[in-house]
Amino acid sequence: MSGMFVEVAPPTLPAPIVAPAAAGGRGRTARRLARRLGRGVVPYLYLVPALGMLIVWIYRPLVETANYSFYSWNLSPTQPATPVGWHNYHRLFTLPELGGSVWRTLLMIIGLLPFTIVIPVVVGLLSREVRGRARSIYQALIFLPFLVAPVASAAVWQWLLSPRTGAVNRATGSSVNWFHERWPALIAITGITGWHVLGFAVVVVAAGLASINGDYAEAASVDGASRWQITRWLTLPLLSPTLVFLVLATALLFAPQWTFPLIDTLTQGGPVDATTNVYYLLWEYGIQSFDAGLASAAGVVFFLGFGLVAAVLLWISERVTIHDD
Amino acid sequence: MSRITVENVTRRYGDVRAVDGVSLDVAHGDFLVLLGPSGCGKSTLLRMIAGLVSPSDGRVLVDGNDVTEAPARDRDLAMVFQSYALYPHLTVERNIGFPLRARKQRKADIRRRVAEVADILDLGALLDRRPRALSGGQRQRVALGRALVRDPGAFLMDEPLSNLDAQLRTATRTEITELHRRLGRTFVYVTHDQVEAMTMATSVAVLNRGRLEQLGTPTEVYDTPASAFVAGFLGSPPMNLLDAEIVSRDGRLHAVAEGVDVPLGLDHPSHEGEQVRRPAILGVRPEHLSLRPAADAGPAPEAGGVPNGSAPNGSAPNGGAPNGGAPAATLRGSVRSIENLGSEEIAHCRVGAAEVAVRARRPAGFTVGEAVVLTVRPEHTHLFDRESGRRLVWQPDRDPQVPAARVPVAT
Repeated sequence: MSGMFVEVAPPTLPAPIVAPAAAGGRGRTARRLARRLGRGVVPYLYLVPALGMLIVWIYRPLVETANYSFYSWNLSPTQPATPVGWHNYHRLFTLPELGGSVWRTLLMIIGLLPFTIVIPVVVGLLSREVRGRARSIYQALIFLPFLVAPVASAAVWQWLLSPRTGAVNRATGSSVNWFHERWPALIAITGITGWHVLGFAVVVVAAGLASINGDYAEAASVDGASRWQITRWLTLPLLSPTLVFLVLATALLFAPQWTFPLIDTLTQGGPVDATTNVYYLLWEYGIQSFDAGLASAAGVVFFLGFGLVAAVLLWISERVTIHDD
Repeated sequence: MSRITVENVTRRYGDVRAVDGVSLDVAHGDFLVLLGPSGCGKSTLLRMIAGLVSPSDGRVLVDGNDVTEAPARDRDLAMVFQSYALYPHLTVERNIGFPLRARKQRKADIRRRVAEVADILDLGALLDRRPRALSGGQRQRVALGRALVRDPGAFLMDEPLSNLDAQLRTATRTEITELHRRLGRTFVYVTHDQVEAMTMATSVAVLNRGRLEQLGTPTEVYDTPASAFVAGFLGSPPMNLLDAEIVSRDGRLHAVAEGVDVPLGLDHPSHEGEQVRRPAILGVRPEHLSLRPAADAGPAPEAGGVPNGSAPNGSAPNGGAPNGGAPAATLRGSVRSIENLGSEEIAHCRVGAAEVAVRARRPAGFTVGEAVVLTVRPEHTHLFDRESGRRLVWQPDRDPQVPAARVPVAT
């Protein structure tokens, strides 16, 4: 028998399905194009409301603020704004209180870190064994101060810290006049803000701890690590994204902004500017004295300054933190 | 050197007994596989041995020392987790060195030892990487390396291969077996994969609902399953289990059901008027059934003329009389579907109300819908109690020479 070897052909694609000939000609093609365009536009239509809000409420005021920082204007609709170039920025940077207020903002950040990092981490580590309903109740209780309006708590703390009749001085036997002495006032403002945000930080740390896979601690304990070694070598490094977030919130939000209602109700920046941070300075010079140009210039500078701080912190966090995958 | 003993260990979660009165003795150098379906308590048992879960009752001993209350780090055991639990912020080198670092060994010693282990596991080029930059197989090796690095008394492994693809799993299986041979250490290995159990273990503990169903070599648990559960868990497809009744007919015992009449090859000289009727479960492995068309009547080729002297599985040690003339052991039914596995095919047949799988070499030449007769040798049949599910063993009254069954029956 004669024959030959023939290769088995690899499978080929089935013949393409030929579209039925376009009977309508040009009209149909145009309609198809319109339909395709319409389909492409739809996702953007969904985004329009959110984008509109962002533009109206965030970006337009931002641009206007930047614009007003080059004018002199007293916020009165009947008065015209007169262009002054960089004058407002010059005034801002030559304000005698500016350096001091930046320094006090920094002090408030440092003073808040125990409340937003140290205590929450210690409490979080110690309360990990609390489970179920007890855990929810405990977290709700500790979160509660975060929900109290700062102005309301300011009234209560003013009472508690009053020099002669206040509970704090009576309990400690001290005679500190909390809101009228320089350092005590700064400590009081920082402490009350810390009391406000402590519960929030504890809950955030608890969530961070809960998100760490329990296998790591178990593996480490079989590997021979003590509890302290596990905390130091595994838990804290794996918690670092949470801690960076809290540092960010402290530096950008709690220290400059959450202190504001307390400063305004309790000390009005005093005594002798001892509690004036950058935002209170902005408030005093810009808003209270109707100096729209200076206020806008300060707004722009703080916006850029805090943006820079945020960028640096985020850059550091990308470097040092490990995201568990 | 580690011998691990588990004494009557129970773990309760609320009203649920995850592990219920399990006792095991793992000799030094053994490779014990804890096998069972998910939720059978095998992982909980392993974690109790590791010291990650404390038993509600019972004791855990390592080399005769009671470690029930000892924390995990004092037990001189190493564990490989199903998730590997590699520390994500540490490099491979620091992951492997972690157990030594925790024991405060000198840096130079740690580096030397890590290099040795990396060499064994072929991880030398990966020491500076973080776990997230590793493939699944590489992560698995790092987890093994971390267990190996301090030369523990025993290795505990919780489904270490379940996250690998099929090919890698086969390769790693061989590697772990090789590792066990070379180290001579005790291994306790949890899996739900019977192939891993059969190929790796020196002994297998089959668990079901927190209880120990059977403890034996892979051969024993496959050939003489101690319960219907073990029979129905091992094998792919597993053993066919049919409700049947044991009846005496012409002085011989048969297992009968609808479409089923299987002579057991056992003499039962019935006295006049005495009728045996015992409900049971009849078990036959798919590979022990042979298939032929129903039209082809006559004695089954395999059932006839089989020397019955040495029944390998102990289930039906023949009373003595050859059954050459006995009618064929048969199950009658029809083919419902056929699965082609390449080298073999599995025919799923309906026999009475039951589904029976038959494994046959290709081409078996059967078509769906065809009426078939299935035959089986008596020594390849298994009987289990209908109530307890435990294995039934024939114990002749008068013949003390028949070797005792290895598996006691608890009926």
